[in-house]
Amino acid sequence: METRDPPRRQLIERLMAQHPEKVADAAIDLWEQMATQIISIVGEDGFNSLYARSVFLAQQTFPWLTASSLSQQTDQRFAELKKRLEGQTPSQAREANSLLLLTFTGILAELIGEPLTTRILGSAWGDDASTSTSKEFKHE
Amino acid sequence: MDDKAAGPGREKLAAAREEAVGLREKAADACAGTVDTREREIRAAGMTQGASDDQISMLRQANAQLVIATIEAHKLAEQVQTAKTELEHLAHHDVLTGLPNRTLMNDRLAQALALARRSGKQLAVLFMDLDRFKHINDSLGHTVGDQLLQSVSQRLLGCVRQSDTISRQGGDEFVTLLPDIDHPEDAALSAQKMLMTIALPHLIDQHDLHIGASIGISIYPEDGLDAETLIKHADTAMFHAKDNGRNTYAFFEQDMTARAIARQSIEASLRLALERQEFVLYYQPKINLLSGTIVGIEALVRWQHPQRGLLEPAEFVPIAEDCGLILPIGRWVLREACLQARAWQDAGLPLITIAVNTSALEFRAGDFLEYLRATLDESRLEPCYLELELTESILMRDAASADSVLHSLADLGVKLAVDDFGTGYSSLSYLRQFPINTLKIDQSFVNEMTRNPDDATIVSAVISMGKSLRQRVIAEGVETAEQVAFLLAQHCDEGQGYFFGRPVGAAALAILLQAGI
Repeated sequence: METRDPPRRQLIERLMAQHPEKVADAAIDLWEQMATQIISIVGEDGFNSLYARSVFLAQQTFPWLTASSLSQQTDQRFAELKKRLEGQTPSQAREANSLLLLTFTGILAELIGEPLTTRILGSAWGDDASTSTSKEFKHE
Repeated sequence: MDDKAAGPGREKLAAAREEAVGLREKAADACAGTVDTREREIRAAGMTQGASDDQISMLRQANAQLVIATIEAHKLAEQVQTAKTELEHLAHHDVLTGLPNRTLMNDRLAQALALARRSGKQLAVLFMDLDRFKHINDSLGHTVGDQLLQSVSQRLLGCVRQSDTISRQGGDEFVTLLPDIDHPEDAALSAQKMLMTIALPHLIDQHDLHIGASIGISIYPEDGLDAETLIKHADTAMFHAKDNGRNTYAFFEQDMTARAIARQSIEASLRLALERQEFVLYYQPKINLLSGTIVGIEALVRWQHPQRGLLEPAEFVPIAEDCGLILPIGRWVLREACLQARAWQDAGLPLITIAVNTSALEFRAGDFLEYLRATLDESRLEPCYLELELTESILMRDAASADSVLHSLADLGVKLAVDDFGTGYSSLSYLRQFPINTLKIDQSFVNEMTRNPDDATIVSAVISMGKSLRQRVIAEGVETAEQVAFLLAQHCDEGQGYFFGRPVGAAALAILLQAGI
């Protein structure tokens, strides 16, 4: 069946489903891995801008996601997000974080294109991410 | 050793040594050169690395700026789009109710007409006007009035299909388009449903408000082929529904147009009536029920129409109120009444109070007190012989402001009466606080009080309340001896109505006063 969903969606959902019990921890791991890669390209300010926009858009579905700025401390960057996710049921937290990641990567893909985004995600989340999305690209 | 032989050998050796030195020097030079190159390379590599870090940092900053700028651009584009959408909505919808406005209705009606023309179907336009909405606005204020309009709008939406359009034309007027009907009766059913839904009480700001509506219906193609005609004819039919007792609907009929034209004609000639001095005052006596003597008179305006004869207020006052002409007409009445009262006094007739109806427009005019003082000065009528009759709606709308004006009037010595008491919304607390001299029981209660126990109870209650508040009570519309007997039994002070005397001209009233009846 033809789908218009980007392959990133399935990847994100699969990664988020890997740790059903520790959703918040898994989510923050993914964000930190991705942040490292993206900050190396667009800097802290660029990343913060992308993140703030993603939260703003995702808030329309999950109003409890706060749009407060990211922590200045690198190791505490996603402390607020983690707190919010922990306040939800695992299923809600998984759904919200999947949407947030999808929104973030969607904006990124709009800016730099899907292939480059896929490569960055590959670097952030391991070869598995890169290959699976690449395969899915081919099936698209 | 042979010197000769040894000589060339030494030379060779020396030459070889020099060559070796030369070679060593060359080698040393070569070696030194290699070191320089490597140093340069290392230095260059160091410089390149430094430059590369700087470039990466700059690229990263540039990327950050590009990302930020792009996202800001997205946000701005979104804001522009939102503003455009809002503007678009505002241009086509009523701000208060959110319903489509006149522009959007005209557009949808035009589309519906085009479709009906092609498919040979009928459509209906319903023009609705709330009954006595002005009273609610005047007595309870615009905020309550606005909330009532919102409540009515919501209920109307529940009465129609998704494909129908309800618009607010402005004020308390709504137009509904039923774009696809099989029979005119379908429109009647919708109108009936709307009337029933609106009639249920509206709980607003702790008031249980009851409101009715009058609906006029026009049908395409019978009553008009274009939007303008259909709306105009539905509007005409709505007036007909109002004339038929309100809270009902009426289908457009061709002869209604003649009546609508007559109304427009009245408005046009009203504007000239003042200049042409076509208004006249009639005077109706107020009788003390115990003594049977005249204790006051009410000045009532009539219009001596050049073609249609003497017109009663009901035929032109509502139109004068609608078009604002009630202000100059009311001021003319006040001045004329004061001059007449003074003329009677100068003629030696008994000193009695003359009552004049005051419209909302006059009462709220910024120069109302000033005009009143000037009129009293001009006519030389003592203020205590003038009584102003005001309806509940005038008093209760913006009661704080009314209170101030009423006290100024009382300080001046002018008497104050509440007209048509019982038909509006009065706050008893304000009624006690206002310097009111007289309560006039509305004739609708008086007419029925000897037949309807509820009306009798209301009349008794108003008389008791008036006594308690030390206010005179006068019954309007007294027409029978039975009514007089009832009022006397209830200790009502005064009566006014055909039983005692119809309104008469100034000369006739002077005779009555002279006779001391």
